[in-house]
Amino acid sequence: MAILQGKKAIVIGDRDGIPGPAIELCIQSAGADIAFSATECFV
Amino acid sequence: MNNSVLKGAGYVLVHVPGMVTHHGTTQTTERIVNPDSDYLKQLPEHMRSYEDCVAYPPNQTYIGNLSIEDLGEVPEPWYDKKIEGADRFGPFGEIMPEDEFVLLMQICDAFDLVHLDKSFVQQVRPKLEAHPLITETMLSLIKEGHDEADILDQESHKAALPIYIDGRMVGYVKQAHDLDVNLSAHVIFENLASKASSVVTVLHLLNNSGIDPAAVEYVIDCSEEACGDMNQRGGGNFAKATAEIAGLSGATGSDTRGFCAAPAHAVVEASALVTSGAFKNVVVVGGGSTAKLGMNGKDHIKKGLPLLEDCLGCFAALISENDGASPEINLDILGRHTVGTGSSPQAVIESLVTRPLASAGLTITDVDKYSPEMQNPDITKPAGAGDVPEANYKMIAALGVKLGQIERSDLPQFVKDHGLKGFAPTQGHIPSGVPYLGFARESLMEGRTKNAMIIGKGSLFLGRMTNQFDGISFFLQANTKKDAADVAAAPAVIRDVPVIGVSVPDSELGEEAVRAAVEQANRSGYRATLIEGAHCLEQMDEWIQSGKIDAAVAAHYAFPIGVSTVGRIQTPALGKELFIATTTGTSATDRAEALVRNAIAGIVAAKSCGIENPSVGIANIEGGRQCERMLNALSESGYPIRFAGSARSDGGLLMRGNDLLQATADVMVMDSLTGNLMMKVLSAFTTGGGVETIGYGYGPGIGEGYSKKILIVSRASGTPVIANAIAYASQIVEGNLSGIARSEYEKAHKAGLSGLIEAARQKDRASDGERPAVAAPPKEVCTEEIHGVEVMDLEEAVEVLWAAGVYAESGMGCTGPVVMINEARSEQAHAVLREKGYIS
Amino acid sequence: MDLENQKRVKDIAEQFGPENVVVVLGAAEGEAAGLAAETVTAGDPTYAGPLAGVSLGLLVYHICEPEMKEEVDADIYDEQVSMMEMVLDVDEIISEMTAIREQYTKY
Repeated sequence: MAILQGKKAIVIGDRDGIPGPAIELCIQSAGADIAFSATECFV
Repeated sequence: MNNSVLKGAGYVLVHVPGMVTHHGTTQTTERIVNPDSDYLKQLPEHMRSYEDCVAYPPNQTYIGNLSIEDLGEVPEPWYDKKIEGADRFGPFGEIMPEDEFVLLMQICDAFDLVHLDKSFVQQVRPKLEAHPLITETMLSLIKEGHDEADILDQESHKAALPIYIDGRMVGYVKQAHDLDVNLSAHVIFENLASKASSVVTVLHLLNNSGIDPAAVEYVIDCSEEACGDMNQRGGGNFAKATAEIAGLSGATGSDTRGFCAAPAHAVVEASALVTSGAFKNVVVVGGGSTAKLGMNGKDHIKKGLPLLEDCLGCFAALISENDGASPEINLDILGRHTVGTGSSPQAVIESLVTRPLASAGLTITDVDKYSPEMQNPDITKPAGAGDVPEANYKMIAALGVKLGQIERSDLPQFVKDHGLKGFAPTQGHIPSGVPYLGFARESLMEGRTKNAMIIGKGSLFLGRMTNQFDGISFFLQANTKKDAADVAAAPAVIRDVPVIGVSVPDSELGEEAVRAAVEQANRSGYRATLIEGAHCLEQMDEWIQSGKIDAAVAAHYAFPIGVSTVGRIQTPALGKELFIATTTGTSATDRAEALVRNAIAGIVAAKSCGIENPSVGIANIEGGRQCERMLNALSESGYPIRFAGSARSDGGLLMRGNDLLQATADVMVMDSLTGNLMMKVLSAFTTGGGVETIGYGYGPGIGEGYSKKILIVSRASGTPVIANAIAYASQIVEGNLSGIARSEYEKAHKAGLSGLIEAARQKDRASDGERPAVAAPPKEVCTEEIHGVEVMDLEEAVEVLWAAGVYAESGMGCTGPVVMINEARSEQAHAVLREKGYIS
Repeated sequence: MDLENQKRVKDIAEQFGPENVVVVLGAAEGEAAGLAAETVTAGDPTYAGPLAGVSLGLLVYHICEPEMKEEVDADIYDEQVSMMEMVLDVDEIISEMTAIREQYTKY
């Protein structure tokens, strides 16, 4: 069963991992609806 | 493009444990959200002493005492390792203690906002007086301070922020305005800390680079603070505030803000300013951030580590005009993360690394070292942020794999070969690319590496103005040894065949002969252009300066003193090539010096014509012996010269006329007048003397610091000689005469040229003066001749021997001046004359 | 996790109903991923933010996990994420995420 399809997605990206906007593009293609997206920076 | 250079760098850490608790945002936030927190209670036990902070290996690396390679040898984690005998000061800067810094903040405060306890000021002032770089002017700005009672009176300064050192309150920072939040005590404190740390770092930069403070024309501050008031919250110009205290009386400046990428942005801006010629010396400076103190403190303490983020970190760099030695910033290779780039890690690395490299025809393995974000892994790993530099190197390598530049299996080796250990404090903009500048400069100048790429990245989204990421990168390379004059004379476009201008307006053989020479040279594949008209010589000079032509052939040119021309001829009968150094011009007014300089000029000419290790002979003329001695001295001190020996049966270093005809040496050294005579004789003898038809002409003007390529022919030079001169000109352009000249003079100076010249001049002066009369010892029969004494020193040499008790007479042997002595005295006489420098 | 972000997670879960929400992470390290995952499931383990003591039990994944990779368009994934597979310790991330999900996810 598709995890992302039709869900409200909260994206917490990481500047040193995968940043928010990159994740957004990915999960939108899987049918998720972006409710909130942020990129965290720890350094 | 005449690239700007990285002329110096400065790095300072300020140990501020007292500021961690009251200004680091992790701590100030905790105090609001969870005032009874265990973390805050435990914090004081985890603070390091100043000595421990100084001895901490990454901190010693930051100031240049411990190389990055050596830091890599220290087993991680580093927090429990100490460097033996660690010094507060290092080649790049220092680790400053808190008390001195607080007094420095007071110095930087012009608005009576920093109130310090009188006794604290008295106690700390001598420490600043003892500081090697704090100036008298700065010390004069120290204010006396306030009574203890006033300092401790909490009520009257409610809105102020206390300054604690070792748990004792030593003063406070006031707000600058009752209503304006932009002038709150907190903002003033942060800003003054940034300013003060910038100031001391600039002082170290000035000291490291040796530049006159007044020569700095522009300062760019790239820290992450904002200063202003409610009407202009980020008005700025920390740069000028810093410049004022640091004594940069000739500078203005501005601030560049770009989150963590700002230092890289600022260096690119500074480089562009210098390369364009707008300014000659630009300082880039980034001060420390009190807000980031103890940022990951909770994680550190949870894991039993000391609080490692107890320092402000600051850096400064000097970008200057090309000096022919310092590493260049190559503005042709710039990486930019643009609006269109996007945020995927792949796109980021592509925009900052692989694309700019590709534009220069390079792949990722062509860069010796990358310096992206250089955070100390000791700090970031326990906080769950990993090893940031290493992650960056892996990303660059990973993209390289994707682009087919390296194999997947090569990824770990790439990280080792092109990566560096992180060592910078987590002070935001400070670790971003620039910590490596000081080490890079040393490595590039020592030839250990040939280039480096500095990468800055910024998280703009933190300001909530944009979701974007940002980054900029620049390329450092070892100096390509192009000096300004050279490049000004060099064409903007690299030509395959050098363009030679020909200006012989008053040839005795007529215009036609000159034109025919140009046509002949062009038919042979050279590129010559005739410069005609009443002002052809001025035109020629202008074209040389602007780079329209690469070199010129002229019948006449007023070379400055210090420049003389090296002729080139084929010898009669045997047709061997010979360089005659020199044939026109004056290398120096002192004869010995002139001959030595002529020798170097001859070597330069021969080398630029492709003779790798030319042999040198000195014509047997007045001054020849002294020249021989001086060249020997140079050769023995690190400027090796290949000397030819005379072809005559009795050998020796001095060349006779026979040797000239036999071209026993590649380069024949003589004074210009003699050389001029030789050129005419050897080039015109087949025509009865009226027309010079053999050889390449009198040659290019060569001298220390001279880079124009102008070759001389005479008004009696015929078509063949002018055509050959064009060929000679073309050859020395392609052979990089200017570069070779610079290198030869540098080597000669390193081997003591200046000292030899000075000694020769003094000797001349001394021999011109009165000499006290020396009585001759009892006469002896003179049976032996000592050769090698310069004719003008002959009488003096005899007197010196007399003074040593050796009877001697002067005379003229068949090859030159001699000192005659009795053979029994031979050893002693030789010893005395050698000691006094009359023979070698 | 940033306090502000914790607040948004809480608000959105309330607004749309926790069963309709999925959290997707991009953390660089396994430990950081686990910490963020725990925050949106069991509650903020550092007790610092709005999710301190609040167990939302949300569905949470890291974008590098195979379940995510399967559903995402292959070309887009290749452009946006694939390079990091050579950089991140994906196995460690998967292991941390799986452990948290098994313990705390309600949906």
